[in-house]
Amino acid sequence: MSIFLNRLREHFADVFYIWWHEMVKVVKDEGVLMFLVIVPLGYPLLYSWIYNNEAVHEVPVAVVDQSHSALSRQFIHDCDATADVDVKYYAEDLDEARSLVSRQLCKGIYLIPSDFATNISRGEQGTISVYCDMSLMLAYKAVYQTAMVEAGRLGAGLNIKKAGNYTKREDAITAQPLAVDEVTMFNPSGGYGSCVLPAVLMLILQQALALGIGMAAGTARERNKNGQLIPNDDPHYRGAYQIVWGKALCYGMTGAIAAAYLSMAVPRMFSFPQLADGKTLFLMLLPYTIACIFFGMTVSCLVRYRENVMLLMVFVSVPLLFLTGVSWPQSSIPGAWQGVSWLFPSTFGVRAFIRVNSMGATINQILPDIRILWIQAAAYLGLACLVYRHQFRLARKYASD
Amino acid sequence: MKYISQILDIALRELDMLRKNRIYGFCMLVFPFALVLFFTTMLDEGVPKDLPIGVVDHDNSSMSRGLVRTLDAMQSSRVAYRFASVTEARNAMQEGKVYAYLYIPDGTAAKLLAGRRPKISYYYTMTCLSAGSMASKDLKTLSTLGSAAVGQAMLSAKGATSRQIRAALQPIAIDAHMIANPYGSYNYTLTTVFVPGILMLFMALLSAYSVGMELKFETGKDWLARADNKIVVAILGKYIVHAMVFALVIFLYQFYIFYVLHFPHLGGVWSIVRLTFLQILASIGFGIFAFGLMPSMRMSMSISSLWFVLGISMCGSAFPVMGMDTPLQAMSWLFPLRHYWMMYQVTVLNGFPVIDAWFHHVALIGFTLLPWFVLHKVKNAMLNYVYLS
Repeated sequence: MSIFLNRLREHFADVFYIWWHEMVKVVKDEGVLMFLVIVPLGYPLLYSWIYNNEAVHEVPVAVVDQSHSALSRQFIHDCDATADVDVKYYAEDLDEARSLVSRQLCKGIYLIPSDFATNISRGEQGTISVYCDMSLMLAYKAVYQTAMVEAGRLGAGLNIKKAGNYTKREDAITAQPLAVDEVTMFNPSGGYGSCVLPAVLMLILQQALALGIGMAAGTARERNKNGQLIPNDDPHYRGAYQIVWGKALCYGMTGAIAAAYLSMAVPRMFSFPQLADGKTLFLMLLPYTIACIFFGMTVSCLVRYRENVMLLMVFVSVPLLFLTGVSWPQSSIPGAWQGVSWLFPSTFGVRAFIRVNSMGATINQILPDIRILWIQAAAYLGLACLVYRHQFRLARKYASD
Repeated sequence: MKYISQILDIALRELDMLRKNRIYGFCMLVFPFALVLFFTTMLDEGVPKDLPIGVVDHDNSSMSRGLVRTLDAMQSSRVAYRFASVTEARNAMQEGKVYAYLYIPDGTAAKLLAGRRPKISYYYTMTCLSAGSMASKDLKTLSTLGSAAVGQAMLSAKGATSRQIRAALQPIAIDAHMIANPYGSYNYTLTTVFVPGILMLFMALLSAYSVGMELKFETGKDWLARADNKIVVAILGKYIVHAMVFALVIFLYQFYIFYVLHFPHLGGVWSIVRLTFLQILASIGFGIFAFGLMPSMRMSMSISSLWFVLGISMCGSAFPVMGMDTPLQAMSWLFPLRHYWMMYQVTVLNGFPVIDAWFHHVALIGFTLLPWFVLHKVKNAMLNYVYLS
């Protein structure tokens, strides 16, 4: 019995030694410190600042009014009064307006042809042409939808005048016999930041951990005279499992702090949606952080040089954001890429976080994601143990040579 | 003449290095290929189609079923679920099964015919903006159609012609011209900024990397010796190879998107070629400059990657720069990708004259010339520094 206890004590002593040793490396290596501490702290603040204004308002538009009628002026006036569009220029003809777009002074053109008011007075359909600069989707939507809404409203007003109703209720029925209530459930203002930022935060957690762990592993290899990941002159590094556990404890500490900061502090500082219930958030972040750590440890064994992990992680970061289904709907992602997305913890971490944080989902509603995250955590733990065992054997071989 | 033969000598030496180190092969050929494949296949649909939508139909009349069928037939929507209650529908939304749901209360058809203005409700989520805005667009069409159906039946019973009906239901029509992107395709707007953005990142990273490798393996003295210690000649010889390889890769990518996938390019072929060279030179210039500022491979690569990844947001292709805070608007000038993207959309996408983007043109040339300020530091590093891991 005492032999067993002694073994166990030694085992834990090794784990704790490696934990402490790894911690020292994190603090001393400026590259690792940058990715494990400065990036998770600073980057989210920068991104939040970039997207903090959420929506574009007052998109500049040029108007070519060839109708010169009360009705055309009314339309221009109505558009200018909206939050999204600012009628900034009046151009004489389409060519002049086009050159305004070319010089980036405005993002769209409203052309009201000379027969606009005449046609309407005759009981025919009047047409307004909208020319949109398609380089900015948000600006295009503002320019186009404002024209649509205002034309509809103006047209309804004309119909009401023609109908000769007596009461306001009748007017409402004339304008819209079937009322439609449009309710935006989550992220009601349609803000860009509130939509993208939660995903970016979770992705930063995975990328920062993978980069930091990879950098630390790369440094360890470069310091080692045989180019090995595991030092063979230190008696405490005597088993692959101890090494995996020791390192996981170290990165678990930094990862836990980063996860708490990213999921709770940053959204609060910039007033992004925060509907998460504390317990649910914890149950979601726990498997995600663990999966990220073992994912990072697995990746760190695959690369030989410190710089390579950076090239690899930076390369995958934007595609990974796409695979989560936050900028491009999950239902439209081709099947093959859906399959690829299952390899990365970020896919399910981001989805679960958005549901919990932005949509107030309960634990039952994100159960499928959480199950997959635990499976990923277990799979990457197994893989990390395997690759570390391989590294361990390699290091022993070099030592005995 | 002497300089040319020196440049050639260094270029051949660099070519040999590119062949021997697998990193270059990955970053110059494999990653760009994977990137182009990823974005073009991922966004192949152009606009999100057939988003799963739920329906809560308590009315169950022929009119409500007609509305549901119309919704199902729309481009962006697919009625994937029918729910018994709104709570059930909301749960499905939180589980990520549907992006929107339509609620038709009991008695809608009866009230509509009696002229009592019934109300149907449409709920959608904006946690995925592209899906949310598509759902909201379909809803607007549906509500117009729903209201119009009543009037249309009445008017045609009275014997009005279809032109008269159209004018009566919609007195003012909007004739939309989506210049250079008539389908509103996300593939045209996203692929053309993410692929060049990440390629520029690789160009800057590899520039810092390759000069850093000279330091790391102490071959810098040999490199400079081949140029008679003239740093300008040494840099020209080294990076002419990088520029040529990347030019080849970028031209292949552009041939694929512009001539195989037929992405819009009203500016024509010369605007594309000009922009390609500006893009390559500016990125390489930035990478060398980053190394000159901090002559350590790790720091210069970290700075370059953080800067260019930030550039993907700061270039303002997704969230416009005009919507950002004022200090950020000014800061956007410091990102090469911002100028690349402005040049792209003015001269290539829309085909406007280059003089209207002169500022961004000059800025990209400015990035190309940045290494000028740090030439002596690079030289000093090569001759005197010792690599510390």
